[in-house]
Amino acid sequence: MISRREFVARATTGSAALLVMSHTSRAQQARGMVHDSTIVKDSSNLFAMDQGAALPVRLPPKPDAKPSMTPRERDDLEHHIHCQCGCTLDIFTCRTTDFSCQVSPAMHRDVVALVEGGYSAQEIIDAFTNVYGERALMAPRKSGFQLLAWVLPGFAVIVGGSALAMLLKRWGTRSRDRAARSTTGAQFSATRGHTDATAEELAELEAAVRRDDDK
Amino acid sequence: MILIGELSLWVALLMAAWSMTVSFAGASMRRDELVDSGVRGLYVTFAMVVLASAGLWTALLTRDFSVEYVASHISSTMPSVYVFTAFWSGQAGSLLFWALILGMYSTIAIASSRQRNRELTPWATGTLAAVLLFFIATACFRANPFTRLDFMPVDGRGMNPQLQNPGMALHPPNLYLGYVATAIPFAFAIAALFTRRLDAEWLGVVRRWALVTWFFLTIGIVLGMWWAYVELGWGGYWAWDPVENSSFLPWLTTTAFLHSIMIQEKRGMLRKWNVVLVVLSFLLAIFGTFITRSGVIESVHSFTQSPVGPWFATFFFVATGISIYLIATRLKHLEAKAELESMVSREAAFLYNNLVLIGIAFAVMWGTIFPIVSEWWSNTKITVGPPFFNTVNIPLGLFLLLLTGVGPLIAWRKASVSNLKRQFLSPAIFGLIVGAAMLAAGMRNFYAVVCYILCGFVTGTIVQEFYKGMRARQSIHQESLFTAFARLVGRNRRRYGGYIVHAGIVMLFAAFAGLAFKIDVDVSLKTGETHEMKDPYGHTWKFVSQGVSTSDRPDRNVIAVGLEAFRDGKRLGIITSEKRQYLDAQRQPLFEPSTEAGIRTTARQDVYVVLAGVRDKDTAELRVNFNPLVMWVWVGGFLMMIGGMVVMWPQAERRAPQAGYVAVMPSAQVVTERVPAGV
Repeated sequence: MISRREFVARATTGSAALLVMSHTSRAQQARGMVHDSTIVKDSSNLFAMDQGAALPVRLPPKPDAKPSMTPRERDDLEHHIHCQCGCTLDIFTCRTTDFSCQVSPAMHRDVVALVEGGYSAQEIIDAFTNVYGERALMAPRKSGFQLLAWVLPGFAVIVGGSALAMLLKRWGTRSRDRAARSTTGAQFSATRGHTDATAEELAELEAAVRRDDDK
Repeated sequence: MILIGELSLWVALLMAAWSMTVSFAGASMRRDELVDSGVRGLYVTFAMVVLASAGLWTALLTRDFSVEYVASHISSTMPSVYVFTAFWSGQAGSLLFWALILGMYSTIAIASSRQRNRELTPWATGTLAAVLLFFIATACFRANPFTRLDFMPVDGRGMNPQLQNPGMALHPPNLYLGYVATAIPFAFAIAALFTRRLDAEWLGVVRRWALVTWFFLTIGIVLGMWWAYVELGWGGYWAWDPVENSSFLPWLTTTAFLHSIMIQEKRGMLRKWNVVLVVLSFLLAIFGTFITRSGVIESVHSFTQSPVGPWFATFFFVATGISIYLIATRLKHLEAKAELESMVSREAAFLYNNLVLIGIAFAVMWGTIFPIVSEWWSNTKITVGPPFFNTVNIPLGLFLLLLTGVGPLIAWRKASVSNLKRQFLSPAIFGLIVGAAMLAAGMRNFYAVVCYILCGFVTGTIVQEFYKGMRARQSIHQESLFTAFARLVGRNRRRYGGYIVHAGIVMLFAAFAGLAFKIDVDVSLKTGETHEMKDPYGHTWKFVSQGVSTSDRPDRNVIAVGLEAFRDGKRLGIITSEKRQYLDAQRQPLFEPSTEAGIRTTARQDVYVVLAGVRDKDTAELRVNFNPLVMWVWVGGFLMMIGGMVVMWPQAERRAPQAGYVAVMPSAQVVTERVPAGV
């Protein structure tokens, strides 16, 4: 067995060797590298925008079209349509948050045109999904495979609840069986594990609380 | 110092490998000298990581742009405080920061429990060293913070200005402190599983560290919400972004654990479940880190161009596999003779609480990963955003709020009808009064009304608990009201600290429900033009544009607009919102323009003004929001932090032994009276 000092010495030497090897390897990688003062690697950007991501979503206005919803309802609808600039926000939130995004205002203009063309909320959502696909939505559809997204959490809670109910029933049966066998045992204190108070103090307190409750 | 730091990182790598190897070898061969060497190896690893961290901080503070990490994250014009916090603002630095915190926690945990938990310590040391080894190796081989450039840039790239905010300086370290703390209970759980010593020995250690996890995650999450609210300019604080969800997941499982552990302490039940929750919390922390760093899911927060994703995925699956194997092969050692007298008891209420918390965790996790599942299954790229998470989680959250009130009032073992009546009557009446008041005030949003009824109910339960305890103390000890309060809390910090946390939760829920009445409008105002609108309380507000101004600062160009605000004709002051374009040393634009929202905060609502753009030089495009009750999110978060500190504060003297988890109870003796504890 090696001594502690020996081990530390060897570890340090090994580390130095690793360090040299690592530097050599990096120097080899760096050869031929274009010098650039803009360092972009490993930065924690908030998000990278794709300003060209907006596609036209246009439909001819319906005959005698009137706006199909109020501006407030339109804003609510925009909360359900995903901005395509690369952020994770909906159109309304993105366009009212950062004026450097050119995608959400373009998508907003399409929504406004469709609203003024008399299209309903569902028709507008359908128009957007026809152009962008399902990624235009802020939530999965409630049909097909995506229905699973909605169903599974509720199903899991129901299954968990049923399992818990069965468990509680089993524990209850066990408790009743034991009660039938014995009525003796240690006194249970509901507070012992959590308190610094002495047994006398607790008894005194219990009496005080009872007096208080009886008033 | 930078070179010493780099060298230290490699030494730390070797020492972590040594510590892991000899700890596991010593534990399995029962050789004390190896075990001792493993512990010392862990301490040295920590010392080496401290040196490495000092090296990186030196590189940052001396602005040595030949180090790639420094050049990528700071610039010559950045304030020193953000130069310091740049340590954890990028991939490589944050991995080193993880290792630094983990080294510190591991040293504290092992040093403090070594004598008491002699069986568990070697395995726990080995596990912690393995986790440390992973993080140090990732830092060394995949994201080395000491990587040098082969040229010296004139200036660094700097930090995104939206990250140069006090909230963002503090939010990540708090989250890391929370995330990393999950490793300690995990290590002791793994140790307990290895040694098959799944009794109460590990319980004390894991509870303390689970509290540390919960405490820092709470602070980190609330600070993150505050940062998003004041800095991002979208008028909200929680967007169900995958990275936000990732921090929420271990918080949920840790909260579940802190409740279910009480049942194990009192009744010896739920051993398996508690081990699962401890392991799950750690795995979810790793999962969260993987989500943040891999880029597999689109997120506002993701680190870009990350090469560490596959490493984290591998580590996550290996840790999951080992945990499942250990739990599965030790199931019979986790058996406890569980008994439950009634489904109407505190034990049962805590179990329902666990069901709901884990249900929410599952829903959040499922929604977070569903875009990957969908793409894998049907090649369809989709987004899962707030409409999904709100729909699924609001009912579960309200049920959880109900249980927050029910749990503390209901008796252990079995609640009698008289117990239920006596405990619940006043809080229930108070809740109904609150609900009636909300309906009378014209509130018609179903979930909001239910939420306020439940907030009233839970507040009633908390006030009642404090009132009864204080009355009892006054009656017994003839103390003043203040002394009775202080001693009531001081002598049972867990219980009353928990109630303070619950009070914070109530405030958060009340604030969340307030957002149902948020009003936002887009307006265009020329200089001198006015806009009138009503707030959710029916007051009439008038905003008068003071015009658009521009200014050039050394590090940024600023466009600002001031709005003079009047409520019901009374002048309240000027609210200013800005757009900033940060510049480098050559006055070239850095990053996207950022928003400085103008926020006027009161207890009732925030008036939140965002300058979205400028047209024709003097026409400001604005969004004006009325956000009700937002202040209570921060107050509630602060109260939760205070409650957490009360719970964690060590008891000065313990006259009664911790005995509950081994208590044998006569099933015939039904405890129907509740005793306010610690009096």
